[in-house]
Amino acid sequence: MKKVLALLLTLAMLATLAACSVQKEGNNGGGTTDNGGGTEGGGTATTAITMWTYPIGNWGNAETVDAILAEFNKVHPEISVKVEYLDYSNGDGMVNTALEGGTAPDIIMEGPDRLVANWGAAGKMVDLSDMWTDEVKADIAATSEVVESACKWTDGAYYEYPLCMTTHCMAINYEAFEAAGALQYIDEETHTWTTENFVKACEALRDAGYQVPGIVYCGGTGGDQGTRALVRNLYSADFTNPEHTQYTMNSEEGIKGLQLLIDMVADGSMTYDAGIVASDELTLFANGTACMSFCWNASNASNYASQVTFTAFPMAFPSDDGVPELDGGIWGFGIFDNGDQARIDAAKVFIDWVCNGDQAASNVYNTTFFPVRSSLGDVYAGTEKASFSDFLIFMPYLGDYYNVTTKWAEQRTAWFEMLQSAFTSGDAAAALEAYVATANA
Amino acid sequence: MAKTNQAGMSRALVRRETTAAYLFLLPCLIFFLGFVVYPMVTCFINSFTIYNTYGHTFSVATMFDNYKRMFQDDVFWQGFWNTILIVVVSVPTVTAFSLWVGTAIYQMGPKLRSFFRCIFYLPVVTGTVAVTVVWKWMFNNYYGLFNAVGKGLGILDQNINWLGDERFAIWCIILILFTTSIGQPIVLYVAALGNVDQALIEASEVDGATKFQVFWKIKWPQIMPTTLYILVITTINSFQCFALIQLLTSGGPNGSTQTIMYYIYYQAIKLGEYGYGNAMGIILAIIIALFSALQFKVAGKDNT
Repeated sequence: MKKVLALLLTLAMLATLAACSVQKEGNNGGGTTDNGGGTEGGGTATTAITMWTYPIGNWGNAETVDAILAEFNKVHPEISVKVEYLDYSNGDGMVNTALEGGTAPDIIMEGPDRLVANWGAAGKMVDLSDMWTDEVKADIAATSEVVESACKWTDGAYYEYPLCMTTHCMAINYEAFEAAGALQYIDEETHTWTTENFVKACEALRDAGYQVPGIVYCGGTGGDQGTRALVRNLYSADFTNPEHTQYTMNSEEGIKGLQLLIDMVADGSMTYDAGIVASDELTLFANGTACMSFCWNASNASNYASQVTFTAFPMAFPSDDGVPELDGGIWGFGIFDNGDQARIDAAKVFIDWVCNGDQAASNVYNTTFFPVRSSLGDVYAGTEKASFSDFLIFMPYLGDYYNVTTKWAEQRTAWFEMLQSAFTSGDAAAALEAYVATANA
Repeated sequence: MAKTNQAGMSRALVRRETTAAYLFLLPCLIFFLGFVVYPMVTCFINSFTIYNTYGHTFSVATMFDNYKRMFQDDVFWQGFWNTILIVVVSVPTVTAFSLWVGTAIYQMGPKLRSFFRCIFYLPVVTGTVAVTVVWKWMFNNYYGLFNAVGKGLGILDQNINWLGDERFAIWCIILILFTTSIGQPIVLYVAALGNVDQALIEASEVDGATKFQVFWKIKWPQIMPTTLYILVITTINSFQCFALIQLLTSGGPNGSTQTIMYYIYYQAIKLGEYGYGNAMGIILAIIIALFSALQFKVAGKDNT
């Protein structure tokens, strides 16, 4: 009896080990052409690839992505794509760990700050120059010339093939502004305002009894594009030099902008919070606690639509001259160099289908952002998301895409720590000097 | 002849049993070597290399660079002192509170005892993320429970930004760590107190010992091995405080909740500075080993 039991236990252990081994082959070697799955019906060899995607609109939603993959497999049954979903809090860690462990995915979906300036610069990505044809370049340039340079590293290699883009903006609680008599300070037609009027509007909100006119959140890196755009635009400061090699927010304009916010916090027309990040601030905006959000775009307007019980009126960030330079988001695909040409080729086929195929407009629609290819036109016209087109008004204000500057990840941490230090000490100049020293080190 | 046969059979039996014992140990040994020893050795070796996202190089000239950098890194030292504060505060409080609760509930009836054990063990079995979400809501600056109760009772004049104010953030972390750390020690103390020799207690009571004397002279020495174990695991857990920091404060505000463990994660995983992260990991391991050795020396001298 004991021998039988021992034999059974041994067999169970061996079966478990065998299962682990098979699973590992499936994960790592799955990209090699095999005859499994799809071969039973038609005898076509299948190339299995993996894609990891950050939550870019509905591309973070398994149901949506499964539908996209089903459409893809109608055209390309020879390629199977396995998807894993990352989030912004630990996605980078997962990718870095996978890179070191040799288990990186074939395709990664995100923006140039990660694909180009981080993993591309580190030599982990495949050069996608062959996909950037003259026709593609011209079509994308017609939307924005910033996109191509953002997807290209200093060595001339293209590490991202873009699908969609947006300009990050802010939003105000229209009814709160109306009640406080602050609508006079915004240009409702162009959705812009000057720094002077922004200050007056915040003071009006404060005087009308709104305790939280706005929150400069700095509890982490989440949504830091909002606070960067706010501080930078107030007096038209440059975040980096034109070559994107040095951070320059310790300029006179940068210091002036941050000091203004510190002074506003001191007089109660603004608040700061070192305990929250953008997602918390958005919740506070959506539930009416805060009168404005510094982290708004079409996607967030969609995500928070069911919670917002007022008019969330999108606005550009205030600037001294009334002409904002907004931060952009450009999302697309990169391919990790896993050394298997068959998988790289299959990944390129998938990316080409997503961005340029018949379903391209639908694929962009699912990002909840706007196409980089001008030929796709307004993908929201005539749909239930037709209001997204309102955000197109901000596209002309797209400023320099500086997110590809060296040491971007370090800079992001240094930025929120700088805000915490500045609002605690009240000394914008000292905080920005320390920040620039850390970011440029 | 019979003796030789007997001796020969014994040797064979011993060999067979030894072989069987090693075979039973083998699966654990493989996992231990693969997932504990190998990473430790790799960590040690990598700590002397320049190892980051861009490459992995070694030279004698730069082999101590990670360690030099660490000792010159203000953030590391800030994390070090915060970590020490967490350990110094949480280890004695967790141990003392667990002992107090354990002493109180082990005398109760079986049902009530099980009920309290479940209550105190709940934060341990509940996922860290879920626990953190609830605490984050309670600490919320705008609609949190603590501010609402504090203002309702007239204790607070205005809201306190518990996690966003460097005067309070570290204490909030210690409080959450405390609630998630007491479950196991309480269960262990209840079990240990249940195993104390009743004959000795009764004999001492007959001899006129007070309750304090019974506890100090009879129970305390007998639960000392459990206390030592609790001290060591609480120390290690406190040194490795990471998830709470990552989920709640990212080390802020102004580095007031920075810990060595979080800084290792930040450098190694977020920035890809693996060599530097490994060097800090080695130093952390040495510090934990020293603390544990000290505890064994002080608390474990009667248990050797």
